[in-house]
Amino acid sequence: MEQKNISSVLKSVEKPGRYIGGEYNRIIKDKDSVSCRFAFCFPDTYEIGMSNLGVRILYDVLNRAEGVWCERVYAPWEDMKGKMEEYSIPLTALESTDELSKFDLVAFSLQYEMCYTTVLSMLRLAGLPIWAGERGEDCPIIIGGGPCVYNPEPIADFFDLINIGEGEEVLPEICALYQEMKGDGSYTREGFLRRAASIEGVYIPSLYEVSYNPDGTIREYSPRYSDIPRKIKKRIIKNLDEAPYPEKLVMPYIETVHDRIVLEVYRGCIRGCRFCQAGMVYRPIREKSPEVLCRNAKCLYENSGYDEISLISLSISDYSRLPELTDGLLSWTDDARVSLSLPSLRIDSFSEELMRKVSSVRTGGITFAPEAGTQRLRDVINKNVSEEDLLRSVGIAFRGGKSNVKLYFMNGLPTETDEDIAGIAALAKRVVHEYYTMPKEERPRGVGVTVSVSCFVPKPFTPFQWERQDSLESLERKQELLKGFINDKKIKYSYHDARVSCIEALLARGDRRLAPAIALMAEEGAMLEAWDEYFDYEKWLSALERTGVDMDFYTTRGFSTDEVLPWDIIDIGVTKQFLLRERERAYEEKTTPSCMEKCSGCGANKLGGNTRWCN
Amino acid sequence: MVQLTPNMPYITLRVKFVKRAELQYISHLDLVRTMHKIIARAGLPLWYTMGFNPKPKMIFAAPLSIGTESECEFVDIRLVDRPPEEEVLRHLNANMTENMRAVAAYYPETKLTDLKWLRYRIAVKTEGASEALAAACAEYLLGDEVLVKKKSRDKRSEEQPSVNIRSGIREIIAGFDGECIILDAVLSADASAFLNPEYVVSALRGALGILSSGNLLAEYYSVLRTEAYREDMTPFD
Repeated sequence: MEQKNISSVLKSVEKPGRYIGGEYNRIIKDKDSVSCRFAFCFPDTYEIGMSNLGVRILYDVLNRAEGVWCERVYAPWEDMKGKMEEYSIPLTALESTDELSKFDLVAFSLQYEMCYTTVLSMLRLAGLPIWAGERGEDCPIIIGGGPCVYNPEPIADFFDLINIGEGEEVLPEICALYQEMKGDGSYTREGFLRRAASIEGVYIPSLYEVSYNPDGTIREYSPRYSDIPRKIKKRIIKNLDEAPYPEKLVMPYIETVHDRIVLEVYRGCIRGCRFCQAGMVYRPIREKSPEVLCRNAKCLYENSGYDEISLISLSISDYSRLPELTDGLLSWTDDARVSLSLPSLRIDSFSEELMRKVSSVRTGGITFAPEAGTQRLRDVINKNVSEEDLLRSVGIAFRGGKSNVKLYFMNGLPTETDEDIAGIAALAKRVVHEYYTMPKEERPRGVGVTVSVSCFVPKPFTPFQWERQDSLESLERKQELLKGFINDKKIKYSYHDARVSCIEALLARGDRRLAPAIALMAEEGAMLEAWDEYFDYEKWLSALERTGVDMDFYTTRGFSTDEVLPWDIIDIGVTKQFLLRERERAYEEKTTPSCMEKCSGCGANKLGGNTRWCN
Repeated sequence: MVQLTPNMPYITLRVKFVKRAELQYISHLDLVRTMHKIIARAGLPLWYTMGFNPKPKMIFAAPLSIGTESECEFVDIRLVDRPPEEEVLRHLNANMTENMRAVAAYYPETKLTDLKWLRYRIAVKTEGASEALAAACAEYLLGDEVLVKKKSRDKRSEEQPSVNIRSGIREIIAGFDGECIILDAVLSADASAFLNPEYVVSALRGALGILSSGNLLAEYYSVLRTEAYREDMTPFD
């Protein structure tokens, strides 16, 4: 900001507070006395990025590392992007206001596929080449990480280095290697990447050659050197109690999406829903102890002034020591006027006790996710909840004074028929009916049930990874069909844009041949596509056509179980045999018990860690 | 049933603070949220509202609009105790950032509504800036009619008719520092007649064509609130 006076620019854009930094608890170091400058980029707005727990954790971890200064970078909103292009204002980091080219390492957190074009747009705004192969010796090393990189292939050619798995240990190791090689003068871009390839959890895409069969499927991945791993094993933190957790949070001035203390209670999930990628890639399950969590919470409260603590994990009520944790927190939070919130509740664990203890449950809306309309289909996806569970839970909510319930479902699941669609409407009706089983004097308001339906995307590393995605026409037909089945004014129906789900499937299941289309999108201005207003389906179709990509090959084509999948280069611990077994059970409409009941031998335990339920 | 307990008695603490540099881009609403966190971290003996959702009580004088820096902001905070002023000041500053500092904390004798006038320093970097243009600015602002089109809250509605803001202008001294036109302005802070300095700038834009080149890097202005006064122009504190 010293270079140019951009005050008129800031006064001309929406929410200029996004671009100013200067927050309480942000970390400022002397740039001349650090040996590794790290830019942590989040390819979405400040409000979204500041809410991300992964960024909070890694910002803390990296700034603890000797000689490393980690700063934050977020994507500008469309109006600001336009001004930056018009006035040649480069993208800068919030702490130092230096442009990205001044950094040694520039990392992007990839949380959803629709952020890919934003990553490239940010590189362009920073004046950095988007293709890894075009970066010179002086260019920062561009790193990717986050849940999307379990299939890194569509974006592999844009990154110099990809972090597979949890980053708390890997990223400081990468910094240390960089510092060592810069320090002893042995650093070259190629030499650094070559050595980094032997750090566990590091994937260097340029060190692998991909060949294809005549039918378009992948023939094989070949490492360019013999000392490069054939498969990249996911890195995990083995003991979360001993892993660093932030003691201070950067306090945003402007309102962010999740503006509160967030406690990560455990990683992984015991459930194994067959559509859920997170449930597979974060295995094995590792819990933190209530003692450590209570300490984390108290410390963060004192250093932040937040009045809300949110307990998060994939399914919070599955935490084996939840009562100890909530009691430990409630011993001081009420007096401090701090409230607890739980964002993810399972239908079968909702209780009157939770409603009493947790203020978000007390005061907020109630959301349940049956995911499918019939028991048959819920068994196919291994959701393991019954209609009775749902009616019991909404009954508790209604008797506790709630009158609005939101239900999440998915369209396009494998084996889905019109009967399953009708089942969604029928289930919603029974929820409405449940409200009227209460005596009239106990229901002062009218009841409202919201049915929200998304479209199934067959994701890598799930038992459904080989499935074909339902076609756009079929998804849209089912959305209309359900509209016809819902004829009760007390039921509100909303559904996701199926076209977005098609592009998500393309990007989630794609290989390296998609990169030119993604690059073309960014060149032509695509950015912030996770926001409805900036998603442009026609533009995607045009970019795919011009770069010779057949979308159906990746989306509506079922993948064969003996073909090489783009993500076969990655080893998440969970084995292909397990995923295949689960796929068979899905077709047999058989459920699989949770890790807590019985170990299903998924294979993730080979990664180690305090995996209390693994055999 | 909700238990109705009478509110506890409270003591009003006044904090005078500065908000400068990049913090000019923080909206008033966000400033309020930020101050809530600061006073929570500072561990002040806060007074809370009663009811289901107890909140501390803070009242700000003359909220700043985005794009204005200030050396004299005031906020009244309700406490249940009367900790020493120096101690309060120390705890507040330990929890603030370099561009938002508390300069005084005290138990006031005046009401916030006693604040009637505010002094601003408005620096305008515009094409054609000169002594003569500065003089023309002063002459226009001290003339009979200073017209602005006030922004409507409803963005879709038709443009509002022009309003004469002259009665909100008490003093204008204009100069030229070789680069910028510098206006020293005393404007109304009275709740019923508050004059936002942004309107002074937009009146000049309309009447004299300043800041109209469309080049956002070449033309810019800054607004700094410097002093607060009571009705009789004695300092407000």
